[in-house]
Amino acid sequence: MVRPSTESLAFDALSDGVRRQILAILSEHGECTVSEITERIDSVGRTTVSSHLRVLRTSGVVQERKVGRYRYVRLDADGSVREALDFLQRIMTQAADELSASASTAEPRDPFEEKLAVG
Amino acid sequence: MTSATVTLSSEADVNLTPAEAFERFGRRDDAGWMFRARCHRVAPGYAVAIDLPGGCDAQVLGRLRVVLPGREIVIEQDQPWRGQLRIKFERTGAAQTRVRFRAQVPSEGIEWLARHRGASLPLPAPTGARRIGLLTSKSGSGAVYSMAAEYMAQLAVEQVNTSGGVDHRPVDLLIADDSTDHLQARRETIRLIEAGCQAIFACVTSASFAAATEAAEAHDVLMVHPVINEGGMEARKVIRFGERPEAQMSALSRIVERETGGNRWFLVGQQYSWSFGAHRAAAKILDASGSRVVAQRFTPLGTREFAPIIDSIRASGADVVMSSLVGADEVAFQQQAYEAGLRDLANHVSLVMDECTLEHVGPAAGNGIWTALNYFQSVTSPGNSELLHAYREHFGPWAPPLSSLSTNVYEAIRQYLELAALHPDAAPSQLAADWRTRKSDRDSVGQRNMATQRLYLARAEEDVIRVLDEVVA
Repeated sequence: MVRPSTESLAFDALSDGVRRQILAILSEHGECTVSEITERIDSVGRTTVSSHLRVLRTSGVVQERKVGRYRYVRLDADGSVREALDFLQRIMTQAADELSASASTAEPRDPFEEKLAVG
Repeated sequence: MTSATVTLSSEADVNLTPAEAFERFGRRDDAGWMFRARCHRVAPGYAVAIDLPGGCDAQVLGRLRVVLPGREIVIEQDQPWRGQLRIKFERTGAAQTRVRFRAQVPSEGIEWLARHRGASLPLPAPTGARRIGLLTSKSGSGAVYSMAAEYMAQLAVEQVNTSGGVDHRPVDLLIADDSTDHLQARRETIRLIEAGCQAIFACVTSASFAAATEAAEAHDVLMVHPVINEGGMEARKVIRFGERPEAQMSALSRIVERETGGNRWFLVGQQYSWSFGAHRAAAKILDASGSRVVAQRFTPLGTREFAPIIDSIRASGADVVMSSLVGADEVAFQQQAYEAGLRDLANHVSLVMDECTLEHVGPAAGNGIWTALNYFQSVTSPGNSELLHAYREHFGPWAPPLSSLSTNVYEAIRQYLELAALHPDAAPSQLAADWRTRKSDRDSVGQRNMATQRLYLARAEEDVIRVLDEVVA
């Protein structure tokens, strides 16, 4: 099984309206309990909110901590930065891959240049 | 670079000689690499544009600093962050090359990327400094013309801080990117206000400025739009300076009609308030001078494909084409118009052909375009050589050219901070009122009275903009 990259996980995390709404709530109110988040979202119930929170946690966009029977959720600034760095590294790798692909594009090579290179 | 910098690298082993791999950089066909980097010549000093992949909707904009054929390319990058990209070619066999990529990314770049990808980062902690904000376009169509605005805002603030700040407090500049999108402009304005900015200077489109002022309405903050705009929107806490299309078109229509005899105008613009206002002003002025608008087209902000509009221009019989397009859209239009041979059919006027835009349009496609703005690097006005010297000394020879937009941002910030130093506790509305009625006999570039409409008529001659005349409207 191919494991999705951090980059694509983060894109998935932000592709859903409920998840963006959760992020907006956390951005506005700081750390919230799962119940507080659920109270502020009318469109879906607690179970769905929990599954969206799992996606956000997996992609490193939010962090959770447990105190007694409460789960507190907050935005993970460090995770965002790490994700941005991963994205940049991926661009660098992609640039290298693109050059390799360009090299495989057939193009007549100057034989004189080849001889010089060998010599 | 003063901030912490992260270095990222990658490499590729390719079945090409170093010369072959090098030669494919900047090519527009399938063999081109580095995400189809675009530059008019692979030579030091030439502007480069690279589309960031991965759905990022942003371009790396910068210029070539080092070009050693078959050995090395170094790009100094200005947008969306200031950094450097180094590409080295090393022969490893007869027709084998190892190409090493090395990027230096400052912490501001990482922060920009995280925000651009939806992260909500904490606001900068209060420092006791007087805070001001710059709302600019580091991505999207406007990134092309905004490049030097951020640097000039930094220069203005550093100069003021060197002289003791405002009311014995340093000034702190926060930068926000509207992504050339009005909804993002609104969000970023709220962020700047929450961070404690007392004034926000906007080097953005009129659509973004309108959204920003709406977001700021309930807050005690002065909103300043110091760059070219269509007018209107002024209020107690909202000031707009910059060139106006009435004055531009009045000067441009006279010279174009006199020099070329052209009097059938085709207007091309974008679907938002700036172009709507500019075209209304153009129609009024052309009507009064006996010329006429044969047709006009508006296209969404972010358009890169202009073939249908070019076909319409060709069919219209127009002998002058006026563009109010801005940024990357204007770059694409002017290049496609040139390639389609429109320069042979009609004269071209552009309302926003500043130095930054022209260098991406390129010397061939830009040649002959008429424009009128309140500053060009080549003006001989007092103060200009000192300002250029201060800019180059601070940001180096590879920084983007100055333009009317960046110079207006600099002048606005300097003048606001002067007023704030005189009245440190004045409300934004009071500062705005003082600014509007401010009497100044200083005429040096960098200190000009922003309320006076002054224009330089100019024409692009390959890669420079040649000033032809000065007009005070």
